[in-house]
Amino acid sequence: MENQNINEIYQSAMDEIGESSTSEKLQELKIKFLAKKSVLMSLLSTLGSLPPEERKEMGQKLNEVKAKIASAIEEKENQLRKEELEKKLKSETIDISLPSKRVELGGQNPFYVVKDEITDIFLNMGFEVADGPEVETDLYNFELLNIPKDHPARDMQDTFYISDSVLLRTHTSPVQAHTMQAAEGKPIRIICPGKTYRRDDDDATHSHQFAQIEGLVIDKDINIGHLKATLELFAKKMFGEKREIRLRPSYFPFTEPSVEVDITCANCNGKGCSMCKGTGYIEILGGGMVHPNVLKMNGYDPDVYSGFAFGIGIERVAILRYGIDDIRKFYQNDIRFLRQYRKKA
Amino acid sequence: MLVSINELKKYVNLDGLTPEEIANGLTFAGIEVEEVASLASGTNLVIGHILECEAHPDSDHLHVLKVDLGKEVKQIVCGAPNARKGLKVIVAQIGAKLPGGEIKPSVIRGVESQGMCCSLLELGVDSKYLNEEQTKGIEELPNDAPVGEENVLGYLGLDDAVLNLKILANRPDLLSLYNVAKEVGAIFSREVNIPSFEVKDDFKTDLVVGSETNRCTQFSGREIRNIVTKESPKYMQEALRSMGVRSINNIVDIGNYVMLLTGQPLHMYDMDKLPKHELIARDDLDVDFVALDEKTYKVIPQDIVITSNKKAMCLGGVMGSLECAVDNKTKNIYIEAASFDGASIRHTSSRLGLASESSSRFVKGTNHFQAEDVINFASYLIKEHCEGKEFSNIVTYQSEEKKVKKLNCSVKRINNRLGTEFNEEQTLSVLKRLHFGVKSINKDEFEVEVPTFRLDVTCEADISEEVIRLLGFDNVKSVLPTLDVKVGGLTLRQSRLRKIRESLLNKGLDECLTYSLLSKDNSTKFNLLNDEEHYSLLNPLTDEREVFRTHILYSLLEAASYNVNRQNKDLALFETANMMSKSSRNEHLAVVLVGNSLNRDLMSKEPYDFFHMKGIVENIFALLGIENSRYRFDRYSSDKEELHPGKSATIVFQNQVIGVLGELHPNAKKEFGLSKTSVVVLEMNLEQLLESKVSITKMAPISRFPSVNRDLALVVAKEVSASDIIKVIKKNGNGIVKDAKIFDVYEGEGIFHGAKSVAISITMGKEGTLTDKEITDTLDKIKFELAKQVNAELRM
Repeated sequence: MENQNINEIYQSAMDEIGESSTSEKLQELKIKFLAKKSVLMSLLSTLGSLPPEERKEMGQKLNEVKAKIASAIEEKENQLRKEELEKKLKSETIDISLPSKRVELGGQNPFYVVKDEITDIFLNMGFEVADGPEVETDLYNFELLNIPKDHPARDMQDTFYISDSVLLRTHTSPVQAHTMQAAEGKPIRIICPGKTYRRDDDDATHSHQFAQIEGLVIDKDINIGHLKATLELFAKKMFGEKREIRLRPSYFPFTEPSVEVDITCANCNGKGCSMCKGTGYIEILGGGMVHPNVLKMNGYDPDVYSGFAFGIGIERVAILRYGIDDIRKFYQNDIRFLRQYRKKA
Repeated sequence: MLVSINELKKYVNLDGLTPEEIANGLTFAGIEVEEVASLASGTNLVIGHILECEAHPDSDHLHVLKVDLGKEVKQIVCGAPNARKGLKVIVAQIGAKLPGGEIKPSVIRGVESQGMCCSLLELGVDSKYLNEEQTKGIEELPNDAPVGEENVLGYLGLDDAVLNLKILANRPDLLSLYNVAKEVGAIFSREVNIPSFEVKDDFKTDLVVGSETNRCTQFSGREIRNIVTKESPKYMQEALRSMGVRSINNIVDIGNYVMLLTGQPLHMYDMDKLPKHELIARDDLDVDFVALDEKTYKVIPQDIVITSNKKAMCLGGVMGSLECAVDNKTKNIYIEAASFDGASIRHTSSRLGLASESSSRFVKGTNHFQAEDVINFASYLIKEHCEGKEFSNIVTYQSEEKKVKKLNCSVKRINNRLGTEFNEEQTLSVLKRLHFGVKSINKDEFEVEVPTFRLDVTCEADISEEVIRLLGFDNVKSVLPTLDVKVGGLTLRQSRLRKIRESLLNKGLDECLTYSLLSKDNSTKFNLLNDEEHYSLLNPLTDEREVFRTHILYSLLEAASYNVNRQNKDLALFETANMMSKSSRNEHLAVVLVGNSLNRDLMSKEPYDFFHMKGIVENIFALLGIENSRYRFDRYSSDKEELHPGKSATIVFQNQVIGVLGELHPNAKKEFGLSKTSVVVLEMNLEQLLESKVSITKMAPISRFPSVNRDLALVVAKEVSASDIIKVIKKNGNGIVKDAKIFDVYEGEGIFHGAKSVAISITMGKEGTLTDKEITDTLDKIKFELAKQVNAELRM
């Protein structure tokens, strides 16, 4: 009779738990079936009236049912909680294609990208970075570089003058003289990036302001082979491993012999195209062995020391590398231009 | 320098070499060939003879011609005014390809035309080589022109290629065709044949030559009597044309021809017009000079002038006088071949704006020891082409001794310089090919005699260049220099500057590059940091660029304006650059922020204001490890309407103003067309930051005891600054206030006019547990002092 009653209670509890779909409902069921005043518990209180052998059996049975109901409720509770969380999370779904909250990296005038990159290439080769003034004296810009007054080579560089003896430097080469004088006869390995000025009307290919990177190495037993190898390494790092260089004789008053350095055209790999005017090569820089007069004037004995020097046009390298069609673009600072460039990690 | 292959091959064997191969050889020997151009072009040409010339029935200027082409006679309609019966002409037959297009059979106003009579212009000859008649009409060939000849360009001497040589400043000797021939001969190991002439003297001249200035070291002259001026021979006209010079008459052409071949400019005087039979170089005249071009020029001391009886007869090396100019009535002449100081010629010709083929040769440098040979060459030509029969002796003034330059060289030293392994034989043979005298001293050393025309070779390094440019740089072994290992890399200063730039880029600012030269007016605008005297150019190209700037900001504002005008309205721009004034040289940073902040969620907008810029400045200090106690912001004041007077500040570091920042003044905004947007600017002198010393941070112990936070809300007058409030709190902190931060400022409803509400968070702590009493006592003291010192009213 009571056994049957217990089974009925158990069955109805399990049915109701199974049907319930909210945690509130489960709370009600806890009270209904497990609270002190529930039917099940009231049965417990009647145990005392049973004969001892039945009491034990019935007590065990009641406790078993109570535990089963409690665990069924807990299980259901967990299930409901999980479902609710899943529902909540689902409702929180975002459009991951919306714009991010990052700080966009600034664009960098390609001038600086190239300047920093060339600088880093030479830093890695053990060069140091020297510096010199943009407003220079005639002495440093010309005379100490073996370009005396009225030397025809002065006509190669139309100069902005501030006074008879002060001018805007026409090349970064005066830094050679400054560096040699400061080094007091010790070996030198420097580059110097910097702005330079020439009295040219601005157009697509000319600019009254432009920039160079000067290089200077002085030591015992330096020869053109060292210049060639150094620039080869530079060209490969800057323009790609496949690039080859070629030296052509040229003339600068402060180097002897002087060379123009061409690299194989990146556009056609040296086969010849419109970019290199069919020659397969593009001129990128000038250099040579430091003229003995320059060494002498700046405190080095040319019988003991020799050196090489070179000058690279920063804008020229950027123009070649990025296909920039007008040198004035560097100085306009249109952000649509700037934001196309930044130094790559 | 234009070099005709046809002319060149008269002096050097070019068999089997194409113009392109010659150009390439020259280029890789250091003489860059900028262009290989043909003088003229045209296919299917023939020399014709006009048999009949009738007026076109339906035109007032066209002619209908019957032209004998040798094999046949064709009818051609021709519009040239000089077409006439009997003329020998160039005919482009049907199918001929000319620079202007192909010739097709046509019907012109009802009359059939089977070809075209050509001018040289139509064959592509540059008009600068042609006279007026030649450009207006068809070319008139000589009467003996062979009718039916199909190699018309060959007949005209136009089957030629012209190399355009870029002569660098060290090789003025190559402004001579003879020397180019020697060079080509050396490059290709070819035989060179430079003719020499001598015209014996028929009488002794009474001409006196001399120089009273060291600017003229050599002066040679010869008197020639009974010349006749007329047209030059065809070969000379063609040679001149191929090298870019127009033919004038025999005497002028001989002067030019000799100069182009030898590099030595000549001058001719009409002897009968000279006041005295003397030609003396001087440099002390101060007179007006009427030149050949009939213009008057001011001659000043230091100009080289050739005088006769102390009267200026020629501006040495630049231009002759009208007074003694050779014209078609001239009978007797003096020829001059002199050496002038290049620098003086340069000054004179650039001052007077008179530059010519001859002045530019003197400027670049001429061979001082060939004058008599050159005069003999010119004499020979005059004898041949001017009917001149009587030649005097050559009189010469020479103040410098002819000295052969000798250099002692060593094969080993040359190889050491070049990074090559040439042997003695290779080295010496190159020099011999280049006309250097070479004498071996021992296995390694040798003596070199430099030819007089090579002005550029003065030392062994120059000899090494001669060797390498002929043997080729392919022989140079590429070897990286082995140098001592040392700590290279950027200096502290350089790496700090790099870090500042990189941090700004990482914050989204774009890095700009602007010009250093500004107009005088603009150089004073937004020059917020100094009034130092700037450098001005003596010779600016335009007013826009005549002052070397001492600040960046103006240029950067221009860049901002440029972008805003192109609908890019949110900008964060910066530039670092070196500034120079007469008294200083400083690295500067400028920043311009325009429109809405880029450093936000892209879907929200926040206009830039003062505090964005202040944050940028504080970040820079922090980046360099400079604590905020070491610098401060003070209010900025200025008479100029550049910055908003209430929203601007100076940056003070080490007791010096090193920067100014602020929002733009409304009137300044208007000037840059930025009225409708927010604009915040900064100009900062980075020198002290880059050079500043930063000590190593010793670890501060971290307290084991928790700190306590209390918030205060005050109402103070609007003028009371946050820093004043913080200062009071920190000063009265009883040693337990660790920090105080403003977290809210409010003005408006609920707060009376002229006041603001300020909320502050105070952090307290000590080595031990804070008691309630300690906290309350401290807060009370702070409140009391705030009320007393900044008139603060506590809000509950």
